[in-house]
Amino acid sequence: MFSQGGLSLEQAPPLSVVLRFFLTASLFGILLGLFLLGSHFNIFSLSSYAIQIMIVHLLALGIMASFMLGALFQMLPVIAGVVIKSPLKKVTIVHGLFIVGFITQLSAFAYQSSPLLYLLSALYLGSGLLYAIVLMLKELFKVTTHSSSSQGIIFALLSFSLTIFLGIYLLLAEGGFVTGSLFTQVKELHYSFALFGWLSLLIVSVSFQVIEMFYVTPKYPNSMSNYLTFTIFALLIVKSLALLFDYPLPFIGMALSTLFLLYATITLDRLNQRKRPTSDATVWFWRLGMGLLIVSSTITLLHSIFYVEEQFIQLSYITFIGFGLSIVLAMVYKIVPFLTWFHLSNQGYMEAPMMHDVIHPKKAKIHFYVHTAMLLTWMINTQTTIIGSLLIIASFGWLLYNLIFAMKKYSYTQKHTQKIEW
Amino acid sequence: MKKILLDAREMEHPKPFELSIQHLQTMTNESYLYMLNQKLPTPLLELAKQKGFYIATKQDTSQEWHIIISKNSTINLEELFNV
Repeated sequence: MFSQGGLSLEQAPPLSVVLRFFLTASLFGILLGLFLLGSHFNIFSLSSYAIQIMIVHLLALGIMASFMLGALFQMLPVIAGVVIKSPLKKVTIVHGLFIVGFITQLSAFAYQSSPLLYLLSALYLGSGLLYAIVLMLKELFKVTTHSSSSQGIIFALLSFSLTIFLGIYLLLAEGGFVTGSLFTQVKELHYSFALFGWLSLLIVSVSFQVIEMFYVTPKYPNSMSNYLTFTIFALLIVKSLALLFDYPLPFIGMALSTLFLLYATITLDRLNQRKRPTSDATVWFWRLGMGLLIVSSTITLLHSIFYVEEQFIQLSYITFIGFGLSIVLAMVYKIVPFLTWFHLSNQGYMEAPMMHDVIHPKKAKIHFYVHTAMLLTWMINTQTTIIGSLLIIASFGWLLYNLIFAMKKYSYTQKHTQKIEW
Repeated sequence: MKKILLDAREMEHPKPFELSIQHLQTMTNESYLYMLNQKLPTPLLELAKQKGFYIATKQDTSQEWHIIISKNSTINLEELFNV
């Protein structure tokens, strides 16, 4: 999990820094499945708006943001060579505020008449997430020579900070603390920066380095790695201004969809040119993710030109979520075995499990099948179904089991095997 | 001297790192690791230096890296490039 460009060993974050976010994401994933199951049987006496917004935030914040923050704490030293000093203490603050803030937010959405809950969620979530961004951006801005990946991560983090500021405005407007005269525009910008900025830019940036490094593929074209992240970020800024000044610019949606289509096609092409193709589940997660991005971007592109049926628009949302989830799972199954093995080896445990013993590739492959089945179920029927909900629980439950298994391997090796000086 | 050859040119990351560490942990004074790689594996070299190993590197005309890592301080690593 190290770049070939240079990294000292002290830079690898402690296992708990990363794993706590992955475990949190898995637990929120199981919670999402249970919530959908409960909604299917009308267990909750919640409005359809409350259910919808809770599902969206469980997915985007509880699951995706948890995974992405964990992955960033691991990948920042690797990709950008930056180190966050005393990470345990800082990450504990971020994680604590995030959990409390997110649960408060879900409660605010559920009981929509409580202004205090909106205020508290804005406070906890905003401070926790912005603190994480400041920790990372502060170090990234110190870097003198940026790679296309580290530069893209800066745009992704800037997009995330805008998403949070816009989200705080929306929470305060929901709680009645601000007038909310720009609510509709801010809401659109909130999800645009979250999905096309934070989520997509982070994936794109990381891929410029990891696709070549993990899978021994040719490089992305320089024109793409040098300019894509900046172009997407610039388009989002122009979109924001156009929306705020009530000046519609439909070409922005078309341009974004076209760029994502191009990116996904080139990534698939690179993966097909692997020098030593092995059957690795993480490659399949990448392929699935890129395929879903192609489907989502194609529908969005067509929608910006022609009339598209509502069911296809729903399909574009699900495939976009599927794209994000598939890629984070590909990263998780690379990061966890590596970090577990690396820390044990570096501590001198000769009998440290090899990476494939930490999470066996077959286990990752099982997850790939469950994940694919889950996505297919939701693509076929976008309404809440029992089988769709159960597959979500199975998918995140399987991941949780794999993560706990890795943690147990780690502590077992530390307790029961001998250390050597080497 | 026993040569342990590790051709990592077409290995997927982080397999070369894992295999090299395995070799270094069991290396004796009578053996050395000869690694072929597309890029200079800086993290591995830093770890090896930190653990007291001796290192020699050379880039050939096809831009590939030849890396020698040994525990033995009495041998001339540069000469091992020709072995």
